[in-house]
Amino acid sequence: MRIAIAAVVGVVLAALASVFVVQVSNASQSDPVIKPLYNYGSR
Amino acid sequence: MMGRARHGVAAFTGLVLGLLAIGPGLAPGFVLSFDMVFVPDPAFSRMTFGLTGTVPRHVPSDAFVTALATVLPADAVQKLVLLAIFVMACTAAASLVPSERLAPRLAAGVLYAWNPFVAERLLLGHWAFLLGYAALPWVVGAAARAGEAGGGRRLVRALIPAAIGGFAAIAISALTALAIAAAGRERGRSLGRTAVALVVLSLPWLVTGWLRPAGMPGDTVGVEAFAARADTPFGALGSLFLLGGAWNRETVPAGYGAPVTAFAWLLVVVAAVVAYGWWCRTAWARGVALAAGAGFVLAALGAVVPWLLRWAIGLWPGFAVLRDGQQYVAPLAVLVAVGLGVLVERVMRVDTARTDTAGAALAIFAILAPVVLLPSLAWGAAGRLKAVDYPAAWAAGRKIIEADTVPGDVLVLPWATYRSYSWNGGRTSLDALPRYLGRRVIVSDAVMIGSLTIRAEDPRARRLDEVVRAGGPLTEGLRAAGIRYVALDAETSAANPARGRLAGADPVLDQPDLVLYRIEAPVKAEDGGAPVWSAVLAWSIVMGVILWSFFVPASTLSAYFPRRPRRRRTP
Repeated sequence: MRIAIAAVVGVVLAALASVFVVQVSNASQSDPVIKPLYNYGSR
Repeated sequence: MMGRARHGVAAFTGLVLGLLAIGPGLAPGFVLSFDMVFVPDPAFSRMTFGLTGTVPRHVPSDAFVTALATVLPADAVQKLVLLAIFVMACTAAASLVPSERLAPRLAAGVLYAWNPFVAERLLLGHWAFLLGYAALPWVVGAAARAGEAGGGRRLVRALIPAAIGGFAAIAISALTALAIAAAGRERGRSLGRTAVALVVLSLPWLVTGWLRPAGMPGDTVGVEAFAARADTPFGALGSLFLLGGAWNRETVPAGYGAPVTAFAWLLVVVAAVVAYGWWCRTAWARGVALAAGAGFVLAALGAVVPWLLRWAIGLWPGFAVLRDGQQYVAPLAVLVAVGLGVLVERVMRVDTARTDTAGAALAIFAILAPVVLLPSLAWGAAGRLKAVDYPAAWAAGRKIIEADTVPGDVLVLPWATYRSYSWNGGRTSLDALPRYLGRRVIVSDAVMIGSLTIRAEDPRARRLDEVVRAGGPLTEGLRAAGIRYVALDAETSAANPARGRLAGADPVLDQPDLVLYRIEAPVKAEDGGAPVWSAVLAWSIVMGVILWSFFVPASTLSAYFPRRPRRRRTP
């Protein structure tokens, strides 16, 4: 039973990692944003 | 695994995490990110010790870096400090897990060193604050035993990273240590020793800040600007619970907060908190829970009841320390890390009579989960922490100023605190000239966040604000204010109208990365900071107490209270 749980958790973690990598790569391809030069940051 | 070896494994794991996180920032050069500015060959000055009348947020961290840079290259000092944060965080959190097994300790260490809190504060450049965060689990251990013989000395040693970090690092350490002292045995003695240790180690910034003639700043605009914000689908409070929620949208790691991974991270955090509540019932564990709860409330104030915080700051400006509330989630990070460690311990404890492959596999997954769910912290937060070299024009400017024997200060234009230097890839950072140049450098320290502006705190900058913003000729006004040089480190083209306002000043350097004008015969001007004697006294006391904590025996009675075996680091 616990081996099955471990296998499921492993598959879930691998799937999450894949989802995340896709999201990160998509985010890096977004259009550049012109940000104010002297701002500390934005909310 | 027993003895020092298990601490060694945790330290090595922390080092690997640090190498992974800093990535390209480890190349030769300097990483400039928001408030993190390191410069080559930093020199001790009145600013280093908070004696220029500015708010001493950089005290004593700048002095620590400057001292280290006398024996190491300054860029190496920066990398050393950043890696030390990860090594300390992993080692300290691992040492707090009540388990003899390695896996539970590593699970806690990895989560504590690799989570949204660390990622956002690192990108925000709060390295000094992270020193205190990294050592917080050690503070937990020391505070839990503060009432014992030698407890005061142990607590002082545990607080040294926070003391180096300065105000914010001490604030989270104080919250945690006082809660633990209050929840433990020998409450009176523990609270007394903890309070004294905290006050003494705060003296370098406490004294210079207190004696600052301009008084305590407390702009209520900052309440709205620095309040926690949602960086997950669970709102500001949910984001704080998940150890994120820092005010600055630009410091959220790429991809963090997406529904699927945010939900998975929520499951990890909830499981860890439940495990902590279920199995951690010792006095120090209650203290950590108390600190985590109080910290969460403080963190949420600006987002939930901003009017209350504004009212409190109006009552006493000191409450402005609660504006950037997300930093007070740090004790919750300790709780979550220990909770995950305890959960792994319980999973592994089941059926230990035989080799349990599934238990080991689950433990490995728990150790890896924080990294899998936040991979964009890796490689310099996906390329956002990069080492760069200062331009040659800056070195030329420094040479010119150092060779000049006429006293006078430096004013930096454009009149703003933060820059997006092209040579730093356009990434936001504090203006680096105040640390780069040996003279007193005046920049406008008013902070712009979106459409909000938090007014300047440096009295010299406030006095010069009218002159600079007036739009007319600058030279005579700056001469009267004691300015010897005007430096333009952005918008250096000939079309910059600021150049036309400097008629009568001599251009001594004109390069794309730095333009320098010299003003003849500036009037002598005083900063009006705290007196030097106050800093000398504060530093003498702090250094004396730190030396005492290492070298002086606890008391003549210490022989009757044998120290616990070294391997028992868990309080």
